[in-house]
Amino acid sequence: MSESPAKCLLDCRLVIVTGKGGCGKTTVAAAVALGAAERGLRVALVEMGRDEHLHGLIKPGSAPVGYEGRELSPSLRVFHIDPFAALAEYLGLQIGMQSLVKKSLNQPAFKQLLAAAPGWRELITLGKIGHIENFGRDEGRLTYDLIVVDAPASGHGLTFLDVPRVVQSAIKTGPLQRRARDVETLIQDPERTRLLPVSLAEELPVRETAELIGRVRNDIGTPLDRVVVNRVLPCPFPRDLPRNSDGSDNFESRLETLPRNTELGCLPSPQVLATCSARQRARFELNDHYVRELANRVDLPLVRIGEVPGGIERRSDLLLLAEQLFSQPKAHARNGNLQDEASSQ
Amino acid sequence: MTLLTPKAVLEQHRVVICVGTGGVGKTTVSAAMALAAARAGRRTLVLTIDPARRLADALGIDALGNEPQRVSLPGPQSESLALHAMMLDPKRTFDGLIERFAPSEEVRRQILENPIYQHVSGALSGSGEYAAMEKVLEMAESDDFDLVVVDTPPAQHVLEFLDSPRRLVEFLDSRLVKLLVQPAVAAGRFGAKLFQRPVQIVLQLIERVTGVGFLEDLSAFLMAIDDMSDGFKQRADRIRETLAGPDTAFILIAGPGQEPSRNARMFLDHLSEARARLRGIVVNRMHLWPGESPPSPELLNCTVPQADIDALSHALDDPAAARTAVSAASEIANQAHRDFVHTRILREHAEARRCFFSEIEEASHDIHDLQTLSAIADALTVDAEVANR
Repeated sequence: MSESPAKCLLDCRLVIVTGKGGCGKTTVAAAVALGAAERGLRVALVEMGRDEHLHGLIKPGSAPVGYEGRELSPSLRVFHIDPFAALAEYLGLQIGMQSLVKKSLNQPAFKQLLAAAPGWRELITLGKIGHIENFGRDEGRLTYDLIVVDAPASGHGLTFLDVPRVVQSAIKTGPLQRRARDVETLIQDPERTRLLPVSLAEELPVRETAELIGRVRNDIGTPLDRVVVNRVLPCPFPRDLPRNSDGSDNFESRLETLPRNTELGCLPSPQVLATCSARQRARFELNDHYVRELANRVDLPLVRIGEVPGGIERRSDLLLLAEQLFSQPKAHARNGNLQDEASSQ
Repeated sequence: MTLLTPKAVLEQHRVVICVGTGGVGKTTVSAAMALAAARAGRRTLVLTIDPARRLADALGIDALGNEPQRVSLPGPQSESLALHAMMLDPKRTFDGLIERFAPSEEVRRQILENPIYQHVSGALSGSGEYAAMEKVLEMAESDDFDLVVVDTPPAQHVLEFLDSPRRLVEFLDSRLVKLLVQPAVAAGRFGAKLFQRPVQIVLQLIERVTGVGFLEDLSAFLMAIDDMSDGFKQRADRIRETLAGPDTAFILIAGPGQEPSRNARMFLDHLSEARARLRGIVVNRMHLWPGESPPSPELLNCTVPQADIDALSHALDDPAAARTAVSAASEIANQAHRDFVHTRILREHAEARRCFFSEIEEASHDIHDLQTLSAIADALTVDAEVANR
């Protein structure tokens, strides 16, 4: 499969955010959506899964948005897709016989079948996303310019995106098969759709992201053009730090050898200061190593975003992240010039 | 008051189930606990259900099949250590169940070749959870191991995972399944007068949405496994008994940040709802302050007087290095403080429930070989003992 050329996320119709759990997937989805709305796009942000998280990020203290969704910020509507609600809506639209649908959904037997049957939740959720994408098409003016999806974490995210294919191999005809086909077309369309994997510069997330991208390229076919690396650490050392005689800038050893009882007021002992500096240095170096490793392994441009100390507290934190996310991804730095780049930022 | 220690928990149980959200290092901690148990002389298996290959990564081995594999440990005592690891393959576990319960070769073949079975047992989510519980039981009942440590998938809801055997049984017992298990349906004649009106409605609805053929396949599949449903039910009961029994302990693995500890509290609620026996909370990747005495408020608030920074510059004869050292120290003091604040509620919860509470310090290097895993195993067993004095 040929890779789609990088386009600004703001020019897409559908951005599906995924990544290993704990990488900041939900935060990235919220930032993309809020940033796009701030720039005048009409945005739908979609969450799935049992619990809602996005409302707390975008408008702290607000109530969950529910299936019908709510506008949490000007031109940004957040939806929470509950598969049961989506199924009822879908069956109603498809079959057009509300009474039949209602009777069937209320059958305990049918409820049990749904509780046990795998796959339909993912399909119906994807179908609902396609439905939201279509809002307003009949009136000649689409309701949303951009749909951002906070998809399940990578392992389950792949299952999620693979369901249209699986359904089509199990079911050969009928509305459900057509639904699956339409959804598959949408999520594979390089003109409209981008999958946005979020990773961290750490060993396991890097491996998992490489695995995810391999499977997306081979089996699923959702267009990809960049990877987000979250919590990239800035270089903690200024460039004007005097060098040691051996050319290194390691001043921890000098701190270490100062007398323990050096009078430093509210500062801890030189030895504790040395430990702190060494830790910050090691952390940065490891982080930097894995940024490079990721660039090499995924063979895609990276968008690096920094950590927000103390977590996302305000709307402005999300907008700051959005600015970084909308910037053009940087081409891979295969030969390890990231360090210079980082320290010049 | 005696609190539990991780060591005691690993010694006193046959099954230890590690739960928690993704990204907190659950796999690493599970593997480290298994290693600690193996070093204490227990024949231990660590089992992962994760679709990603995290356990293999954490143990530094290339691949894990659906069978336990011995982990070879570096060092002199490796011969006497019995640590095994396995990664679940839901499809193969399902196939194994069918082989075991199928009354005849004919039925076995019918099931394995049924298209519905192939999808249900394969990639689709939900099926892995049942297969996992089944494997946990099989391994817990096997004489090969004294202890099974389970690394659960980062499920949204731990109850869904624990509940999967019950859901399967309810499904097999349901009226709909009983109805589908009829030759008329398998032959595609469910519009016939054989069925009551509501049943026809449901069947027709399913057919309208799924097209012709699906219901027949489903019915054929259900008929084939109908003979085996007693076997499944017995297994599901045994799984439930095992999970609820005194030999099973649940451990919550959490992260130190605001979001991870919020998620951890949600997990705690779900666990008490499920009446699971919580025996410990492990906070992984804590930032700890390295000094013996706590950092000064000035360092925490970044209001260190210029005179103190000057004193350091003077001692080092290097103002840039002094500024860098002060900001590094302030950063680390603040991280440690934030982590402490975010995890306070977990600490209190552990105390109230009388289970152990362990903190594992964030390492500035990687945890992907057995030596570093072994350092965590040490930290887990040592820290809690100190904390309990």
